[in-house]
Amino acid sequence: MQRLVCTERCDWRSTAEQCGFDFHTIDGERYWDERAYYAFTLDQIEGQIEEPTAEIDAMCLELVAYAIEDEHTLRRLKIPDAFWPLISESWHRDDASLYGRLDLAFDGRGPAKLLEYNADTPTSIFETAVFQWTWLEQAIERQIIPSRADQFNSIHERLIEAWKKLGEGRHLHLAGMTESTEDAGTLAYLEDTAGQAGLATTSIDIEDIGWRDDGGFVDLDDREIELVFKLYPWEWMFRDAFGERLIKAPTRWIEPPWKAILSNKGILALLWEMFPDHPNLLPAYFEDDPNAARLGASFVRKPLYSREGANIALIREGVTLVEQEGPYGEEGFVRQALAPLPNFSGQYPVLGSWLIDHTACGLSIREDENPITANTSRFLPHAIL
Amino acid sequence: MKRSRRVVLTMMGTAAAGAVSMGFVPRSGCGPGLTVVPGPGGRPYCRATYGGFGGAPHRFHGHGGHGHGGHAHGGG
Repeated sequence: MQRLVCTERCDWRSTAEQCGFDFHTIDGERYWDERAYYAFTLDQIEGQIEEPTAEIDAMCLELVAYAIEDEHTLRRLKIPDAFWPLISESWHRDDASLYGRLDLAFDGRGPAKLLEYNADTPTSIFETAVFQWTWLEQAIERQIIPSRADQFNSIHERLIEAWKKLGEGRHLHLAGMTESTEDAGTLAYLEDTAGQAGLATTSIDIEDIGWRDDGGFVDLDDREIELVFKLYPWEWMFRDAFGERLIKAPTRWIEPPWKAILSNKGILALLWEMFPDHPNLLPAYFEDDPNAARLGASFVRKPLYSREGANIALIREGVTLVEQEGPYGEEGFVRQALAPLPNFSGQYPVLGSWLIDHTACGLSIREDENPITANTSRFLPHAIL
Repeated sequence: MKRSRRVVLTMMGTAAAGAVSMGFVPRSGCGPGLTVVPGPGGRPYCRATYGGFGGAPHRFHGHGGHGHGGHAHGGG
């Protein structure tokens, strides 16, 4: 694994805008950054990213099967008991997952370590699946990178295949917070792939979802919402006004309610309990577990619910080195062993390993000067050399 | 290897602009936080008068605690 400085394409901004990638620069700062790229060997990708990703996914499914049947575990995860039936029913009905992203620490030498699983509402899929691939093709064509370069990336075609399986002839709604440029871009991309799979689609803001007086969620045209992709966290759904109506509605959700278990950082502790010493896991414990003392005075403290690095603190020898601000933490915390990210030219990369329909099929990289990846971290492309 | 793959977009880009639905006309009464909205099919339904799923003003909205530039978002 190497970080290689390279020439950026002179027209990348206009290329991005033409294909709808209009959040490439955020608040005047680069989000997409192609002044360097990360290079991997094929062996690294296949043996140290792809295979462990599939294995972690399988462990996560085993965890869900266990948690669903164990009230104590659901309580540890602080999932409100009113939603246990919704979660359990979706699992036993085998409601399908479209996608997820594992965030991994990897330095190219030792095993990749799971930092967390974005199981419910992962973003950055468009730039991973499409714009990163466009970069590869153009960078080869313009001799910016070697002609033999490849990329771990079949996300786009796997999304289309997954939609064909999930759709089953049903109309698909896509809901989210559409005032967010990034979320709107993600929804637009997923809608595009669903359309290519032959699904009829409707986009809707999450707050525009209505409730018909005879029961059931509807869109602004009073059309029943039968199957809906939502880019909106389950824990927010549970708390919002229509949360209590979820159990009454026949609507099928993507990601399904059982993903509420996996999007909770408590799974880091549960995975370590179930699969101790697994090479791709870091020791982790619930903060109120006496075993957390095994980590000593150096650990990463993560709220059970957190996004984009918010409220995560990096503590070494009892001293808080870095702490991200944010509104999370009310439900409790887990402590995870400190796995310092590798430092490449003063940058700390985190790998995002993507699963589409449970198949590991793509890689994204965010890097930051700060060892906690946050929403200001830049996206860099990668290549297999 | 995967170099023969084709990545094609059919809707994104200029075609995707304005693809999201926005706005409603608040009217009276379905209970707290809800309003009656007539659907084109003529059947009224209740929907939220403010943000969130069903309109709950949950604590993350608009506080800038997450999302870019202080704008909340649901992805991560």
